[in-house]
Amino acid sequence: MRIVNTIVLLAAVLGIVSGQTLTPKIVLPKDSPVGLLTYDFSNSTTSARGGTYIVDVRGSLSLRNETQRRIRSITLAVYAQEVAPGGVGSVTVPSLNVGPSETFSVRIENHLLRPLVPGAGGPSVEVKLDGILFDDLSFYGPDSLNSQRSMTHWELEARRDRDHFKSLLKTAGSEGLRKEMLASLARQNDRGPGVQMVRSRSTNVDSDREIQLAFASMAEAPVEVFAGTARVSTNEASAPHFTVKNRSTRPIEHLDMGWIVKDAQGREFFAASTPADLKLAPNQSGDVRQDSALHFQQPVDIRSITGFLAGIEYADGTQWIPTRAALSLPALRDHVPASPEEQRLLQIYNKKGLDSLIEELKKF
Amino acid sequence: MKHPLVTDLALHASGDLSGWQRFVTTLHCNRCEQCRGKIQGFLLDRERMLAGREELPEGLDWDRLSAEMTANIRVGLAAGECVSPLSSHESQKASLFTGWNWRPAAAIAGLMVVFAGAWSLNLPSSDSAAIGRVFQNITRGSRPTAIGEDRGPVVQASSEGIEFRENGSTLGVSSSGSQPVAVSVSFSGSASARYVDNDTGQMTITTVYVQ
Repeated sequence: MRIVNTIVLLAAVLGIVSGQTLTPKIVLPKDSPVGLLTYDFSNSTTSARGGTYIVDVRGSLSLRNETQRRIRSITLAVYAQEVAPGGVGSVTVPSLNVGPSETFSVRIENHLLRPLVPGAGGPSVEVKLDGILFDDLSFYGPDSLNSQRSMTHWELEARRDRDHFKSLLKTAGSEGLRKEMLASLARQNDRGPGVQMVRSRSTNVDSDREIQLAFASMAEAPVEVFAGTARVSTNEASAPHFTVKNRSTRPIEHLDMGWIVKDAQGREFFAASTPADLKLAPNQSGDVRQDSALHFQQPVDIRSITGFLAGIEYADGTQWIPTRAALSLPALRDHVPASPEEQRLLQIYNKKGLDSLIEELKKF
Repeated sequence: MKHPLVTDLALHASGDLSGWQRFVTTLHCNRCEQCRGKIQGFLLDRERMLAGREELPEGLDWDRLSAEMTANIRVGLAAGECVSPLSSHESQKASLFTGWNWRPAAAIAGLMVVFAGAWSLNLPSSDSAAIGRVFQNITRGSRPTAIGEDRGPVVQASSEGIEFRENGSTLGVSSSGSQPVAVSVSFSGSASARYVDNDTGQMTITTVYVQ
């Protein structure tokens, strides 16, 4: 047996074991609001690279809404290895509009990692239901990946943006909607460089310095951000630290801060977000710290970093998101990424035209 | 009557015969006129040669003769080397280079070619790049300096999608075959990419977690 294990390990190390097919195990709870009709993962493969299995999960599921409510969003968790870095992924489909007994499909394209352990057999993958969000914002699921928060956030953004475009159509007509779509398309093309998230700041940088963080002012935001710092060096920003105060009348449990980086050439781009769990009673202040680091793919001489509140979750589970008016501030307008719903509507306009976009807006 | 050998008679005439043979040959010559005559002939020839050794042949160039003799001796020695059997040391030395068994070496070389071909066909380009970087570092005598390397798997969001990287090499990209409409990373240790299906217009958000 030791010889077999050695051969498998050696073959894997040499990259000879490759392209094995993979059939994930699909796990739905007994009382799942959706039923599995069909699935196809014939394109899923695994390959060994060094001491790691690379699990390429590619497939689709056909599901049916077994409830009497409309489904707005679903998240499926994909597990190759629960504890190893890169062993867990997820696929979320927001902006759904699936009525009772209606069917819909979910495509899964996940690249995951799993440590190669001789004698443990090949990699196995499980696809599990993590959560479903209904049109009344009620939620079902184990929520292992905090999918309820994300799906609720995206649904609130979707409603905000659909209302905005519907209002624009009503007040400015189809030409006004077209101009808004073209302006939004122009903003989408302005992307920053690729960015890596590393688990801790590097130790081999030589020009590490601390900078003061700036924050976009949002008058209606439930929290106020006082001050903050981050460490920056060549191509890297790390250890953001800032202080917030809850100025609302409700306790807060979570906030999401977005970061816009400006380089020496004056170029600005959205870099990353910082989700933070913190319990803040009304008028209470608290600190947020992160030890991770962002490493940019291309040379970026970081001159300033501006934070903006992307979302707040209260203790009762309800959320606050910034208004479109707040996001249209000059400091944010061209750099804050569009919501998934706005990007979906842009794609409909871009591929099928203005009439199809107007038809889509009428469905909700 | 048995006569001595002519060579013994010649040696006896020059006084070079050993003691016992000289005694026996002298006894025989005292009784044999024929052998005594031969010895007398050798003595006369010797006297003539001794008389003529004082005079060199006319026109003889001794230096040239010496050079020719030296050259002939060298040619003779070289020719002898060619035809003489090899000594044991020389034959062992020669077998290392000329008498070796080339078949196993050829088989190993063939296997190496096959292995290199299989390796290059199976090795992702990113690994080739990583190996190239290693050789570059070896030749330059430097250590990897790129930030983000040697810190285990990291997740990267780029216009191509979500990518795992380790020690500067990619471990693969999460992609649905089309470019994402947006990508983002989170300080909490995840990266997301958004895709829109061209046919259905459905938005899909793919996320991977490294912490």
